[in-house]
Amino acid sequence: MKQIQEAYIVAATRTPVAKRNGMFRNVRPDDMLAHVLSAVVAKVPGLDATEIGDVVVGCAMPEAEQGMNVARIGVLLAGLPNTVPGITINRFCSSGLQAVADAAARIRLGEADVMIAAGTESMTVMPQIMGNKISLNPAIFAKDENLGIAFGMGLTAEKVAQQWGIDRAAQDAFAVQSNQRAAAAIAAGAFRDEITPYTVRTHVPGEGGTVRVTERICDTDEGPRGDATVESLGKLKPVFAARGSVTAGNSSQMSDGAGAVLLMSEAAVKRYGVKPIARFCSYSVAGVPPEIMGIGPVEAIPRALKAAGIQQSDLDWIELNEAFAAQALAVMKQLDMDQSRINPQGGAIALGHPLGATGVIRAATLMSAFQRTSARYGMISMCIGTGMGAAGIFEKV
Amino acid sequence: MSRLIIRKVAVLGAGVMGAQIAAHCANASVPVILFDLPKEGDPNAIAKKAVDGLKKLDPAPLATRDRAQFIDVANYGSDLEKLRDCDLIIEAIAEKMEWKLDLYAKVAPFIRPDAIFASNTSGLSINALAEGMPEAARSRFCGIHFFNPPRYMALVELIATRSTDPATLDALEAWLTTRLGKSIVRAKDTPNFVANRVGVFSILAVMHHTARMGLGFDEVDALTGPIIGRPKSATYRTADVVGLDTLAHVIGTMDATLADDPWHAYFKSPEWLAGLIAKGALGQKTKGGIFRKEGKVINVLDLASGGYRPSAGEVAPEVLAILKNRNPAEKFAQLRASSHPQAQFLWAIFRDVFHYCACQLGAIADNARDVDFAMRWGFGWQQGPFETWQAAGWQTIANAIKNDIESGAAMTNAPLPAWVFDGRQGVHAPDGSWSAFDAALKPRSTLPVYQRQLFPERVLGEAAPDAGVTLWENDGVRLWNLPAKDARIGIISFKSKMHAVGDEVLDGVLEAIARAERDLDGLVIWHEAPFAVGANLAQVVEACKAGQFDRLEKTVAKFQQASMALKHSAVPTVAAVQGMALGGGCEFVMHATHRVMALESYVGLVEAGVGLIPAGGGCKEFALRAAGLASRAAGGDVFPFIQNMFQTIAMANVSKSALQAVELGFAKESDDILFNANELLHVALARARAIAESGYQPPLVQRAVQVAGRNGIATCEMMLINMKEGGFISEWDYRVARAAATALCGGEVETNAKVSEQWILDVERALFVDLLKTEKTQQRIVHMLETGKPLRN
Repeated sequence: MKQIQEAYIVAATRTPVAKRNGMFRNVRPDDMLAHVLSAVVAKVPGLDATEIGDVVVGCAMPEAEQGMNVARIGVLLAGLPNTVPGITINRFCSSGLQAVADAAARIRLGEADVMIAAGTESMTVMPQIMGNKISLNPAIFAKDENLGIAFGMGLTAEKVAQQWGIDRAAQDAFAVQSNQRAAAAIAAGAFRDEITPYTVRTHVPGEGGTVRVTERICDTDEGPRGDATVESLGKLKPVFAARGSVTAGNSSQMSDGAGAVLLMSEAAVKRYGVKPIARFCSYSVAGVPPEIMGIGPVEAIPRALKAAGIQQSDLDWIELNEAFAAQALAVMKQLDMDQSRINPQGGAIALGHPLGATGVIRAATLMSAFQRTSARYGMISMCIGTGMGAAGIFEKV
Repeated sequence: MSRLIIRKVAVLGAGVMGAQIAAHCANASVPVILFDLPKEGDPNAIAKKAVDGLKKLDPAPLATRDRAQFIDVANYGSDLEKLRDCDLIIEAIAEKMEWKLDLYAKVAPFIRPDAIFASNTSGLSINALAEGMPEAARSRFCGIHFFNPPRYMALVELIATRSTDPATLDALEAWLTTRLGKSIVRAKDTPNFVANRVGVFSILAVMHHTARMGLGFDEVDALTGPIIGRPKSATYRTADVVGLDTLAHVIGTMDATLADDPWHAYFKSPEWLAGLIAKGALGQKTKGGIFRKEGKVINVLDLASGGYRPSAGEVAPEVLAILKNRNPAEKFAQLRASSHPQAQFLWAIFRDVFHYCACQLGAIADNARDVDFAMRWGFGWQQGPFETWQAAGWQTIANAIKNDIESGAAMTNAPLPAWVFDGRQGVHAPDGSWSAFDAALKPRSTLPVYQRQLFPERVLGEAAPDAGVTLWENDGVRLWNLPAKDARIGIISFKSKMHAVGDEVLDGVLEAIARAERDLDGLVIWHEAPFAVGANLAQVVEACKAGQFDRLEKTVAKFQQASMALKHSAVPTVAAVQGMALGGGCEFVMHATHRVMALESYVGLVEAGVGLIPAGGGCKEFALRAAGLASRAAGGDVFPFIQNMFQTIAMANVSKSALQAVELGFAKESDDILFNANELLHVALARARAIAESGYQPPLVQRAVQVAGRNGIATCEMMLINMKEGGFISEWDYRVARAAATALCGGEVETNAKVSEQWILDVERALFVDLLKTEKTQQRIVHMLETGKPLRN
């Protein structure tokens, strides 16, 4: 790979992640985006915002409240100069990580010195998980090999569970661990630095024809169930297959949230005198059969490691998205990964998975970890609907 | 007082009955406030919990879940002022006289002078309760005794006190009848009133003879259920459902208040019952009582061992043969003559109930009709005790009872009253039913509300109402009218079993419509429930076996023609719907000009269960409705509307009420929903007349219906592939549902293509016949005919 300069992450932040129809049920995704854009810019005092080359925003269902090129709407709502552009990109669950990679690529190519990568997703505003209007191509059903395109994500997790021999007990145990780790991290204040609290204002009918506005400051992830046990999860019924193993308890939660990271070239870092948190090392994405989409990281991770020139064992901190316990465990099994380095503060089963925002949100977590721990190499990876995997590697500076 | 306007109801007491009575008021579009004791923290917590609980009960007290929003929650601590808004207050707290009197004293100052206050007590003296009300309010105080579950049990006993204003009670009776759809029996103020007095006595008699003859509880339930015209839960399972503690309480009331009753010695809970209660095994609510479900096995308490054993009781073949005899006189004679213990048991329990009812009639009820109706409506008996007796031969049975009394076989030696032997042939006659108190035949109530019931439920021996004039008939339907009501509105009534739609019904409907267009101003389809259970599957199977698919195709075309005729007839057609309206029956309902529906209407397109799709215009109507809704929605996309309808058809969803039928799209907001099914014909005739008078012009047959087309089918298929791969549906379910999707989406045409109504009819008919030709669909139909259950092949 040819690059003319390094790209550094110099600031990162996120909203807390809300459950679908939870604390952000009345919060618009473009407002969440504007919130994190303002917040991340504010983390670099003295930044000349007109220097921001582009704002790349990941969103998996870029329509309705998060349509209209939500990136540009977010830029304007955040009060950034109107000369700052914005682009919305979509690669489903890796959209946020893709935004970081795309923003880094612009710097590495020398096209920009300051970039923002962000992600926003409100799964509350989506009337269906698949967007406002679902319309499948009849050609999908004309050929058996295309049927996987039509499979729901949960069904693909069942297929992965079957193929890789991940049983219900293992999935539930993994889910319990995710919840326990997340609850412990929250209790320890591990997420405090990366979250920019969001004040939710709710307008409701009040006395005498007035509109009453209530305010609530949201600063903590809503998803984790620290009291979840193997017994309590064991009572849940499989959702996607009559005799399956994937339940609401061992799947990622549907969530609302946003995140943003600010990237700079070496030159900009020097000019502004900021201390970068991490260097962007590599990014890779690759396809797998759509009916086993959850195994995607197995293809992406080795490629990203190769591009970064490091070994899997060099990775100290891995944020592996838990779309489903079944696929996360299958990926770990297949790649023989070290569980202790994966999701030390819990994953999407506990913390939630606001599709297109997750990549950036976990980037904020990784940056915070770099600042608090001795971890040197970190990775963010996830599987992607219709059969892909993505992985991005970062090195602490 | 002619019309009672009740704008708001208050229910005091958010227990099982109170909450469900409140739910039924909400069903009837009457806002209601549900009160209970204040609680620390959230003062309305008790009532709130009760309202939440309503949504989980089965059978559902709420006709649609969103009806719960019309139930406000309140407490006696801070909300009594709210009572001033209420026109009717129903007290339904625990059966403790002191508690009730305390509450009355507390709420009385807040009750408007023109409001009615009524107690749902099941046994306490209404006159004694009235004493707890200020003197001025007593004329508007009465007993209003609902049965559990109040939405589904027809009976409400109304009990006057010495001071109740008769006009107020009449108005309340009319309101309960039309608005809540209840069937009223006026009861006297005697302990447990009518239904529970007889019903609980009957349970005590059954318990007595069970013990005396050493029968098993399961065996007795087999003997005292549907085989003798009583509910499936029979005796002991009913006790479990009611709650063994509640039953013991009612028995206790009888013991305490009926010291002079000749059967008083029997008003005691048996030891085993007290034992179960002591152990906390109270029946269904504690997951165990006389019966206990363990996994899939139902166990029954065995008195001999004291433990539980698998429930297995059965009716002996020789007794079954007797019970199947359709001649009641012969049946009773054979029961009496048989030496089989089961037969002797059955005779004994009938004899003792007859004996008891004859002796108590004068004291507890105005007349014998009220006793019989109370048992039908309150206990689900198909026939009341007096009817059963009369049908079996009054004098024969009377003498048999007399002999048993004299021989000491009866439970007491109290003689039958003299009127029993006055030469009568029964207690029900065309002129009325026997009142032992007044020694006269009493006609039915003449309250104006009953003029709305053209074919009310009748007791045996009662005069038949005006059967109308037959205008035309074939084997399938009768076309008739009621000149006294409206000679120019025709009534179509199906003659088929369960009102299934076969060739002769289709011919009949088509001919009736043609005649109505020529001779009449409008048509009503009405008959007793069910409205129609769908197509005549037996005819379909026969034709399939004979390979007569051309004939079947023609029959389906005729079905479509009949549906279209209902919709496009020159005179309005009104479907009067009650009970099940399934498959083809549902399609007729959907095509009629207007629907007058009883609340208890169970409507659905259930063809998928037999491997078919709706092809009598059902898919076409849904496609039309989706296009209509889409044309008024932003974006104009048809699919979102199709999607819900597809699920309704693919899952064979059946509405659990008429209100839900509107939600599912089988009926319209503008249709009439009646709470009393007995009023259907009256309203349907009036509605047909009103539509005719409005200058009725039938709707146009649509030529440009926007359909979801190929993309729509593919998107439905996405849902199906996930269900199939997940093992929720079979390959054949997939194939059938895909056919339904294809018809709903207007065939394999481009998305948003515009097609004619006839095109969609052709699509659904072709798909239907294709499915009929397959072995798997034929297997499903045969299985349904043989077992009454769908086959998942």
